[in-house]
Parts: sequence; structure tokens; C-alpha cells
Amino acid sequence: MDGGRAGAASPVAILAERLSKVYVKRRSLREIAGRPFRRAERITALAELSLEARAGEIFGLLGPNGAGKTTFLKILAGLILPTAGRALVRGIDVARHDQAVKRSIGFVTSDERSFYWRLTGLENLEFFGRLYGLSAGQARSAGRSLMQVMEMETLANRQFMSYSTGMKQRLAIARALLHDPPVLCLDEPTRSLDPIAAKHLRRFVIERLNRERGKTVLLATHNLQEAEEMCGRLVVLDRGRVLRQGSLAEITAGLPGRDHYILLVSGLGSPPADPRWSVEVERRDGTLARLSASVDRDGRAFSDLLRGLLEARGTIVSCARREPGLQEVFDMMAPDGERREP
Amino acid sequence: MSALRTLLAFLRRDFLIEVSYRTSFLMQAFGIFFSVLIWYFVSRVVNAPPTTPGLEGVDYFAYVLLGLALLHYLSSAMMSFGGKVRSEQMTGTLEAMLVTPTPIGTIVLGSSLWDFLLTSIKVIAYLVIGRLFFHVVIHLDSLLPVLLIITLTVLAFSGIGILSAAFVLYLKRGDPITFLVASASALVGGVFYPPEDMPVWLGGWSRLLPITYALHALRRALLRGSRFADLLPDIRALVVFAAVLLPLGVLAFRFAVRKARQEGSLVQY
Repeated sequence: MDGGRAGAASPVAILAERLSKVYVKRRSLREIAGRPFRRAERITALAELSLEARAGEIFGLLGPNGAGKTTFLKILAGLILPTAGRALVRGIDVARHDQAVKRSIGFVTSDERSFYWRLTGLENLEFFGRLYGLSAGQARSAGRSLMQVMEMETLANRQFMSYSTGMKQRLAIARALLHDPPVLCLDEPTRSLDPIAAKHLRRFVIERLNRERGKTVLLATHNLQEAEEMCGRLVVLDRGRVLRQGSLAEITAGLPGRDHYILLVSGLGSPPADPRWSVEVERRDGTLARLSASVDRDGRAFSDLLRGLLEARGTIVSCARREPGLQEVFDMMAPDGERREP
Repeated sequence: MSALRTLLAFLRRDFLIEVSYRTSFLMQAFGIFFSVLIWYFVSRVVNAPPTTPGLEGVDYFAYVLLGLALLHYLSSAMMSFGGKVRSEQMTGTLEAMLVTPTPIGTIVLGSSLWDFLLTSIKVIAYLVIGRLFFHVVIHLDSLLPVLLIITLTVLAFSGIGILSAAFVLYLKRGDPITFLVASASALVGGVFYPPEDMPVWLGGWSRLLPITYALHALRRALLRGSRFADLLPDIRALVVFAAVLLPLGVLAFRFAVRKARQEGSLVQY
């Protein structure tokens, strides 16, 4: 975990209070003809979402598809009106003063098409800069400077259509930074990137945008590793509801399940057996064995395992706790029968 | 002032896109020339004398030339507002523009501006080609009334176009405005033949269309050199159309934007 450097006293950048969004599904002519008096279906995208992202932190919205992440970001960007509750960006209500809020946020979608393909990267940035209220000179200067920041200066005068997916995504981030907003909303920014480009982008957001420029970043992702790497605090959403929120440690605390350890033990015959743990010998190298252990979180089980290993004439060379992945956390939080593919 | 600067940015964007297609301008110029040529030969076959009711003393080729030119304005208004909204929705650029502080009205107007500018150039090209190659007599002594008529016509047509854009935003497809107004204008608006030559029950509908008055006034001003006083009844009608259609379009568009934001369908297509 790398992002989220804000202290507890930092001012609030984004605040959602009991924010709800219910979509009324529009019925097709066929449905109306078939069942004319049937009530239109209602789909809850957000159900009383409350959260608080502090200024200068990277805050994660984590959840599977349909969790409500994009709906929340679009409410902040003024594209969708909430059904109930309110959302504030730096103290300004997004439903009432969307124009003012738009000056404070940069919005990056994973949609790489959202540029004019026959214009160059720089021409695109200049155009969008004008829409953010910059003068022609300011837009050109901001575009050039951001191209440099994005390490794309050699591509500035190439048509957008010749860019790779990674370049397009970087240009989308550059566009969101044209008006130098304090808050950046990233909607699955690495979705269509290869692992190397995705890693590069994550480092860029953490180091250049969050640490150096102090941007507050709201990151919507269903990529568990990404959330782990980038976000100081996060909310886990499922079908519009908050399952948990806080730091990863806070989210995982008190969850049912087991902790995982990697142990290097020498001189061990067979590992001790007990229903409270399961131990697998992953590899043996002479007398040295590498063990993978899953142990109940009951407080005593881990001590008993260590005692068992010592009693089996083993010498514990090293022991490391493996942090649970968010996939495991999500599985633990989702009620039985409601788990789904991320 | 800021809105004007933003509109200029739209013009620059569309100009750069247009010139990125190398032969686009050339092909459009050829297209206009061929269109005029085709109608020149059609008019020779039709061979209607200037005394034909509704032609108002001008020959059929001059009559249809102006009809074609103005039909371009109508098509621009009809296709441009709604068409641009739809194409920007489909390419994802609408969302990228809507998250900026630029008001949606400026975005829609700005997106259509280039089309209107290009159409104005086309209309002038029609008249120039008609004058140079086919010896159509164009009177330029009533230039100010002509500019007024064109401005009112564009405003009235824009009202219809913005109404069409509202339908596109709300219904996505199945915009009835474009179909109804464009078809009715071509059929009874006096573009290709005088509505007076049609049965009364059909030709009478032409009174409900702004193109009828725009064409009537422009033909009188440009082809016959009529004075401002003679054009006044048509100008009055165009003022009424503009005063009704433009606010109606803007209101409908505001309603559509609000509904689309409530439904979360602003950028869906």
C-alpha cells in the first residue's frame, strides 16, 4: 500500500452524505404493449452512500461491476443527479453548483475514444483547455507542459489516432489536469492497459500527482491489487451499498477467516496437524522446508502452531505474515451466496 | 466574451478536422457544381415560363437554385444540432466536454457552428455558380434585408434543430422533428415547385413552415430586387417563427438535459 498520505486533520475534499441513486428503467414499446399497467423497474445504483475523502489522499472505491463506483463519480462530475442525499466537493454541493464543482475536479474515464482522432494530442488538449475556461495561450502552454509531464512531448504533434492505448490513457489524464484541479477522479484508469503500462501509470499517479502536486485522487477500480497499491483508505461497495470503509488494516480487522504465514523451518520431519490450521510444505531444500500456513484468527492458534513446530524438532529460521489480498477480503465480507466474479 | 472565445475554439477544432481530410473541400465544391448542373438541365426539361403561378416572374432554374441553397440551411439546422449531439455521444467526446465547466448550451451551439459557417459558404457558392456559369441575375441592392432574412431564418431553423437535439438527448433515436419538418419543407415548402401549384388542402400546409416565408422573401429580394417594404410580411412571419421556435427549442433542451441527468442517460446513445 502506497498512497494516501493525508493526516487525520486534513480538510475534507469529497463528502457524500446518505447519497442514493435509483434508476427507473425505461420500458420498451414491446414491454409496454405486453404489460401496459406494470410498474417500471427500479434499479438501486447507490444506497445511502456516506464517505469522506480527505484532501491530499488517494481514496479508493472498490467493488465489482455494478457496485455503483462509476455512478458516484458521475454524480461528482455533474453528469447524473442523485435521487437523495448530497455530495460535496470541497464544500460545494454538486447537484446545486455543478459548474463550480467542475472547476475543482478532473475526471478521467477509461474510455480511450473520447478525443478527436484526427487532431493531434496537443490540439486536443488546447481545445479542451478552452472548455475549461483557459485562454488560447494558456491552453497551449498548459497542453505543452502536461505533454512534457506525461513524457509525451515527442508525440504532441502526432494525430491522436496513431497513439497506443497507454498513450491515450496518459493523454486523458493530461486533459483532466489542464485546469490544475485539486481533485482528480479516476474511473478504472488502467482497465485497458498492459501490466507494464498499468504499473507505470499507477506510479505516476502516486508519485507525480499525489505526492508532488498534492492532488486528492478518487480512484474507482475493481482491480484489487491496484487498490492495495495506491489507496490509503477505501470503501468496498457492493450493489450500491458500503460493505466496509477505512484503511486496509481497518477493513480486514475482525473479519472471519484465517491469517496466512510463510515459514522457513529447518530439521522438521512432518508438520504438526490441528483443525485450527493447515500447513503445506511448499518446497524442501536439504533440511530446510518452506511452509505455507493458514491459521485461525482465534489468538492462540498461531502460538500453538509455533510450539508444535518446535516440538517436532524444527528450528524456525524465519516467519512472515502475508497480508490478505482484497479479493479474499471481499469474499469474506460478501454474504454467503452473494459472491460473484469481480 | 468568454462564451464567444469558447465558440471560436469549436470553430477552430472543426476547421482543423475538416482540413485534415485532404480532398474534403474540393469534393464539396464539385458536389455543389454538379448539383447546380443537374438542376439546370432539369429546368430545361421543365421549361416553366416565368409567368407560371408561384414562380413570381423568375425562370424555373433561378427559382430552384435558391430553393436548393436554402434547403442546405434547413438541413444544417436539422442535422447539425441533433446529429452532433449523437455523434459526440457515440465517440465519447460529449462526456469529456460535459465534465468541463462549459454550459451544455454552448457545447451544442459550438458543435453546430462550423456546419452553419460551411453552409453559408455553400449558399454563396450556389449563387456564385448560378451567376457565373448559368447567368442567373442576382440583385444585391437589397443586401441588408437579405442578411436580416437569413439571420431570422437561421434562428427559426435553429429552434427546430435544438428541439431535434432535445429529442436525441431524451429518446436517443426516433427523433420525429427532423423527419416531419424536413419532409414537409421539401414537399410543400416551395423548394422545388411553388406551393400554389399544389392542391389547396396540401399546399396550405406550407403556411406553417418557416422555409416558405424565407424562400418567398429571398427570391423576391435576390431575384427580383424587391424593396424592404415588399418583404415586410414575410419578415414579420419569420420574426414570429423565430420568437416561438427558439425559446421552445431551448426550453425543450433544458428539460431533456435535466431528465437525462436524472436518468443517467446524458451520454448514452
